[in-house]
Amino acid sequence: MTNHVETSSMTPDDQPLDQKPVRRQPSSQHQDATTGDGGSGKSFGKLAARLGLYVAVIAVCIYSFFPIYWMMISSLRPMDRLFLDSSLVFWPPDLASYTSLFQQTNYLVNFMNSVLMAVGTIVISLVLSAFIAYGATRLHFRGKTTLVASMLFAYMFPPLMLAIPMAAAFRWLGLTNSLWGLLIAHLAIALPLAVWLLWGFFKSMPFDLEEAAMVDGCSQFEAFIKVVLPLSAPGLITVGIFSFLLSWADYVFALILIMSDQKKTLPVALASLLGAHDLRWGEVLAGASLIALPLFVIFIFCYRHFVAGLSAGALKG
Amino acid sequence: MVQDRRVVALFIGSILLLGVIIGGPLVYAIMLSFYSAKSFVGELQWVGLANYAKTIQDPLFWQAFANGLMIALAAIFLQVVLGVGIALVLNRRFFGQSVVRAVSILPYFLPTVVACLIAQWILDPNYGLLKSILASFGIGIADWSAQGVTARGTIVLVSVWLWTPFVITCVLAGLQTIPTQLYEAARVDGAGAWRQFWHITVPGLRSVLVVVILLRGIWMFNKFDLIWLLTKGGPLNQTETLPTLAYRKSFLEFNLGGGAAVATLSFLILAGVMLIYLRLFPIDDAKQGR
Repeated sequence: MTNHVETSSMTPDDQPLDQKPVRRQPSSQHQDATTGDGGSGKSFGKLAARLGLYVAVIAVCIYSFFPIYWMMISSLRPMDRLFLDSSLVFWPPDLASYTSLFQQTNYLVNFMNSVLMAVGTIVISLVLSAFIAYGATRLHFRGKTTLVASMLFAYMFPPLMLAIPMAAAFRWLGLTNSLWGLLIAHLAIALPLAVWLLWGFFKSMPFDLEEAAMVDGCSQFEAFIKVVLPLSAPGLITVGIFSFLLSWADYVFALILIMSDQKKTLPVALASLLGAHDLRWGEVLAGASLIALPLFVIFIFCYRHFVAGLSAGALKG
Repeated sequence: MVQDRRVVALFIGSILLLGVIIGGPLVYAIMLSFYSAKSFVGELQWVGLANYAKTIQDPLFWQAFANGLMIALAAIFLQVVLGVGIALVLNRRFFGQSVVRAVSILPYFLPTVVACLIAQWILDPNYGLLKSILASFGIGIADWSAQGVTARGTIVLVSVWLWTPFVITCVLAGLQTIPTQLYEAARVDGAGAWRQFWHITVPGLRSVLVVVILLRGIWMFNKFDLIWLLTKGGPLNQTETLPTLAYRKSFLEFNLGGGAAVATLSFLILAGVMLIYLRLFPIDDAKQGR
């Protein structure tokens, strides 16, 4: 399942389909064939190799997951034991850090700001990138390749090369300390990626489908809305996920464009929490866990789309 | 074929909007770098290349450049080595493979701020987990943020933890494209695992790695949030990089022109390095055309 996604997303063109089942064989032959032949010395070596593999796998899991786990169990400890307790269990969980987070900080307001930014970024970047990517694959004009290549080029720009002029321009546009301004900034980082991903989807969609719809009396616009968009649902979901991630995780632009506590988004609010009250680690870790929670939910339900977009270079990081 | 006017109109409209919100700031950034602005509200004054001249003569600029290069190179090297290693492990067949693969890319999903807070929590010299573990062995621990070496090391460490999953995912996909017959033939010829790795796996992954290193290089060099969250460029500018310097100049010293000049110069340096890199390691079209 996951193999399939990764393979098809990374190299759709040069990967013949019939190779997928084949590729697993060397390792499985290697491993399984020997369990049958029962030679004592040989199978001992194979057993050791198998054991080594599982040790490595467990090491990878601990390395990847333990820091996240540690954050979550720390946030569930009673606050007076937070700095003393280094046990690996959190039972019984204590929600004191969370209640304190909600009572003593603007966390809910900041959370809503983040949700607003994310929803706005998803909706607007989906609409605009769908129009652009569709036009770039179906209309005839010069400079198409330049247009698409310039989307990739946007990867290269230092974020501050956008943030500095935006901060200055927003001053005389009246968008200083405004969530509208931040939304523009989030669109500026999400759109190039969205266009790039959707362009790949629309390009691979056969033109015959729209043509059939247009023969039946649809206009090209109607064919786009009724035929192309529904069929590119997986691409739209991928674009939506990554637009959400870019907006949800953004620290740079929110730091520079937003000043008041009431308008901060989660990443900046959380970072300033640590600076403002030292040793507020309970609240900070509870807040960090809550930022990560929606991400984990999305991750579990949209893992395929995530991997597909990831290997297409979707997330700047 | 007749082109629907609505499609054309929406396309042009969207492109113009995109041009305004991305192209506009870029042009304005380059423009700002030729002006002197003492504050965000003050008048702009044309100074020509003075901002650039000042920037190039500033030893801090070159120190920031060297720091950024050092951090980026160390992080990329470790990300690639670890990423290839983990991908090779996850490419074997074992129980729970798909779950473990999902877990291994989980860190990439976290916002940078969360990863930085976790790192600060674990590495805290007074209350951190690392301190408690080492203390039980009777080893003391110093504050990582107090010294240049450990501060840079921590930045590299967190970068590696956060962004190695990108390498893992790409390498796992790349491994599928290597024909298995090659390994079988090598085994028949008596090549061991080590030689198979260097003579089949590495060449087979070459085109993937060229792209991965390029992208990771760009992103590491432009990295601002992680460094700012962890060290703010300290101690004593030991972890100052070009992005943090541009931020410091623009938003703490209110020297907009200077900040814009640093950002523009760092972009030019990056573009130059990328051109050389692409000349040395051309990306073949099959891989790029994804």
